[in-house]
Amino acid sequence: MSVLGVPVGQPRSARATARAARIDRLGILLTLLGATALVLLPFVVLKANRIAPGDPRALVEVLPRWAALGTEALLVLVAAVALGVARARARLAAALAGIVAVALAVAHAAALLTPPGNAVVRVAPGAGFWLLASALGLMAADAIARLRPGPAMRVLALAAFLAVAGLALAHGTFDSLSIMREYAVNADRFASEAQRHIALALGSLGAAVLLGLPLGILAHRVPRLRPAILALLNIVQTIPAIALFGILMAPLGLLAAHVPWAAAIGIRGIGAAPALVALFLYSLLPIVANTVAGLRQVSPAALDAAHGMGMTPWQALARVELPLALPVILTGVRIVLVQNIGLVAIAALIGGGGLGTFIFQGIGQTAIDLVLLGAIPIVVLAFSAAVLLDALVEALDRGRR
Amino acid sequence: MIAIEHLTKRYGSTTVVDDVSMVIERNSITVIVGTSGSGKSTLLRMVNRLVEPESGRVLIDGRDTAHEPAHLLRRRIGYAIQGHGLFPHRSVAENIATVPHLLGWEPARIRSRVTALLEALQLDPAVFARKYPHQLSGGQQQRVGVARALAAEPEVLLMDEPFGALDPIIRDKAQDDLLDIQRRFATTIVLVTHDIDEAFRLGDRVAVMSAGRLLQYDRPEVLLKHPADTLVARMTGLSDRAMRLLALTTAGEAVVPGASDGPGVASSASLREVLCELIWRGVDSANVVDAAGAPLGRLTIATILAHGRPS
Amino acid sequence: MFLKSLCVAAALAFVAAAPSRAAVVVSSKLSSESAMIGEMIRLLLNAAGIPTIDRTRLGATPVVRRALIDGEIDLYVEYTGNAGFFFNIPSDPAWKDFAKGYELGAKLDYRANRIVWLTPANASNAWALAVRHDVAAAHHLRTMSDFARWVSSGGNVVLACSAEFANAGTLRSLERTYGFRLRPDQLIVLAGGETAATIAAAAAGTDGTNTAMVYGTDGGIVAANLVLLEDDRHDQPIYAPVPIIREAVLKKYPQIAALVKPLMQSFDRQTLQALNARVQIDGESVDSVAADYLKRKGLIR
Repeated sequence: MSVLGVPVGQPRSARATARAARIDRLGILLTLLGATALVLLPFVVLKANRIAPGDPRALVEVLPRWAALGTEALLVLVAAVALGVARARARLAAALAGIVAVALAVAHAAALLTPPGNAVVRVAPGAGFWLLASALGLMAADAIARLRPGPAMRVLALAAFLAVAGLALAHGTFDSLSIMREYAVNADRFASEAQRHIALALGSLGAAVLLGLPLGILAHRVPRLRPAILALLNIVQTIPAIALFGILMAPLGLLAAHVPWAAAIGIRGIGAAPALVALFLYSLLPIVANTVAGLRQVSPAALDAAHGMGMTPWQALARVELPLALPVILTGVRIVLVQNIGLVAIAALIGGGGLGTFIFQGIGQTAIDLVLLGAIPIVVLAFSAAVLLDALVEALDRGRR
Repeated sequence: MIAIEHLTKRYGSTTVVDDVSMVIERNSITVIVGTSGSGKSTLLRMVNRLVEPESGRVLIDGRDTAHEPAHLLRRRIGYAIQGHGLFPHRSVAENIATVPHLLGWEPARIRSRVTALLEALQLDPAVFARKYPHQLSGGQQQRVGVARALAAEPEVLLMDEPFGALDPIIRDKAQDDLLDIQRRFATTIVLVTHDIDEAFRLGDRVAVMSAGRLLQYDRPEVLLKHPADTLVARMTGLSDRAMRLLALTTAGEAVVPGASDGPGVASSASLREVLCELIWRGVDSANVVDAAGAPLGRLTIATILAHGRPS
Repeated sequence: MFLKSLCVAAALAFVAAAPSRAAVVVSSKLSSESAMIGEMIRLLLNAAGIPTIDRTRLGATPVVRRALIDGEIDLYVEYTGNAGFFFNIPSDPAWKDFAKGYELGAKLDYRANRIVWLTPANASNAWALAVRHDVAAAHHLRTMSDFARWVSSGGNVVLACSAEFANAGTLRSLERTYGFRLRPDQLIVLAGGETAATIAAAAAGTDGTNTAMVYGTDGGIVAANLVLLEDDRHDQPIYAPVPIIREAVLKKYPQIAALVKPLMQSFDRQTLQALNARVQIDGESVDSVAADYLKRKGLIR
């Protein structure tokens, strides 16, 4: 027997297989992606102005020699870790180092390519950057998943990531990049639209919970009503979002025109009101369905015991049924919040505001960076909401079964 | 103390409980036994009005239970079910404190009651008070269920197949503990089971039900010696009724003066156990000793056999 | 208790909303040009002591129009030719004339909706064609008639345009009016209607493109070194920017008409192109370009 446990005298292929088995399959994929990104795709795109198509530039072309070589060497090291190292912490560290290096590289490249004092030239991250960042992000996410962190750890990791990214943005590291240039021009609007966006998403969620929770309880208590309620909500769900916004404009406009106090409290045919109503309608089905499902999986023995010990039906609902249904209900909340954060983007079309205004302005002006200025924060918001709520659901579930 | 008068319950066209009447004495254990579908659980649940009867009434200490709101009635009656029904999201201490909380007890009183009950059920309060149901074994969960039922010092305790989910070794211990608890807290217990041995072991009086009707309600030895009909006889066991009868009497109760050679048998052992021991030893008699080891007398096989016959 | 505080809150909201009703709600469509002119008007009103509420970049045309008719906004910048679609008479010849189109639109909108049309700017944002500077110089192309002559005499034109332009009648109309015909291999049809893409194609000469479909006041025209071909036979409707306002608001602040007039009269096609270029190409903010223009023209201090 050799040291590897493979019998000596075995054909070389067997030993090679034993060694090859230790090369990480994900690492192979990521290395291929990263190599393609670095070598074949542009790292940045240099545009003469905001809407010009732009020239592709590779990493080695835009950074001074030592920076380019250093970055490439680091990426090769990261690839080696991705291929050969199994320890999750090491992989995570390598991936994070790669992300930081690539982010700094693109920021530095943008700064270098922009002639001083020139506000017209735009340097945008190229396909190569995005692919590289995605591959590194995938490696980091995989490493985190291997560590199997608990809910608290996941939230902390998210907070840490957001804090670091936020600091870098505030510090001005990325200010030369095209997206940040768009931000600079739209800074005050960005803050108010972002606030509006979050308010619309949370407001519609809140309204849906206020109505959907009792509706779900009713559907659970009166089984006859359940199919009717769920069928109706299902129909609402199938109406395309833009169509629903449009449909609501007329009746809400009528309401605003003819009912004196309606306009005063903000009910209008355009703007936030129809968006809010439409989002509220879309949110009802997940909340109601999950409330019903959550209540159904409450242990009948626990409920029988609750009644038998002398709780009134309301007390049993409040102290036993709802707390036990909470993880499932919160899953519905998570679905709704993530869905709504995305749907609010469409509210911009009917004057509702939110980050979608940047998306649609960007589309109209063929300014991709403006579109990204609206789209990327939406993705970050949705992702953060998902992580937070999933952690909450898991934390609640742990102390239960 | 509990008077059940002509309780009837129908579901659709099926009569689940058919005109059942019985009187349960204070400070006793009454076991209602029957096969599944006999209506025994429904009958039990009519005592605390989880099921409302078609006709008939239940009087507790002379007061009709229908005259007060159901949830208030139930706070005065302990309720322990199969599968224990512990609240998964509350700790052991919080579970036990449920009814005292509903009754508005002061926190200090609740705390001391929880501690006392945990100790009474041999669960170390320091260890178990803060645990959650899913961290407990089946036997521990069942005991917490009983503690929870007793928390508000009820005079009546209703139990529906409380030992059904336990394995045989633990079940015996649990039954012994229940007897202990009943003695200590002087509670009136009404217990439902399908296990006739358990019924005979625990019950001061046993009610046999079948298809909604109460067939016979009496002390165990009466059911064995004088079954009301063949159905009762079959349920109480035709082939081993002698052994069942022997199991009802302890050595201490049947001891006769005298002394024998060899090791003694405990006075708390049932005559069935003593008989088996004598067979195993291959002797005719043995001394009966008490818990301290002092001799009380002796038992012979002949004496034992005499107890196994209807007289 | 809860109900009472709800009523109090509603009453307060009503009261709080009341003073702001005196402010003029200035809105605009999503496009940068209409947002820019809207912002200029808003700054003018502010400088004259009229309180305003900024609701520019509200949404697409149907949304903004609906908002004005319903009284939720008070003023926004529309385009004269659009009245043809609002009132369902798109093929009326009046739209092809700057003055006649304005008068017709103003009359119809006032009669139907009590909306007053203020001074328009004499610059059309209609669809047009623009050719590369070198091509224009080589073949002396300044107008569509020149263009038609060049094409018919065998000029190697390659036009980048949108599907809508090619298929929904605009191109055919131009061909009919000016007497030329483009072969399919002389057309590069792009999905979507973004003139930035067509301008970029002509500027880079992609696939031989030397002519681009544009909007008359596109900022990219000058930046891409293209020459806009004049619609000398007036084939296309005129889309001149015109601020439109609800009559009730104008009655409350009649000075708005006089304030807006010099601004709109200061615009011509080249000015608008240059302003649009600063926003669309150079990426300056609409608000700063608007303020800067007003200062340079001495309209505000």
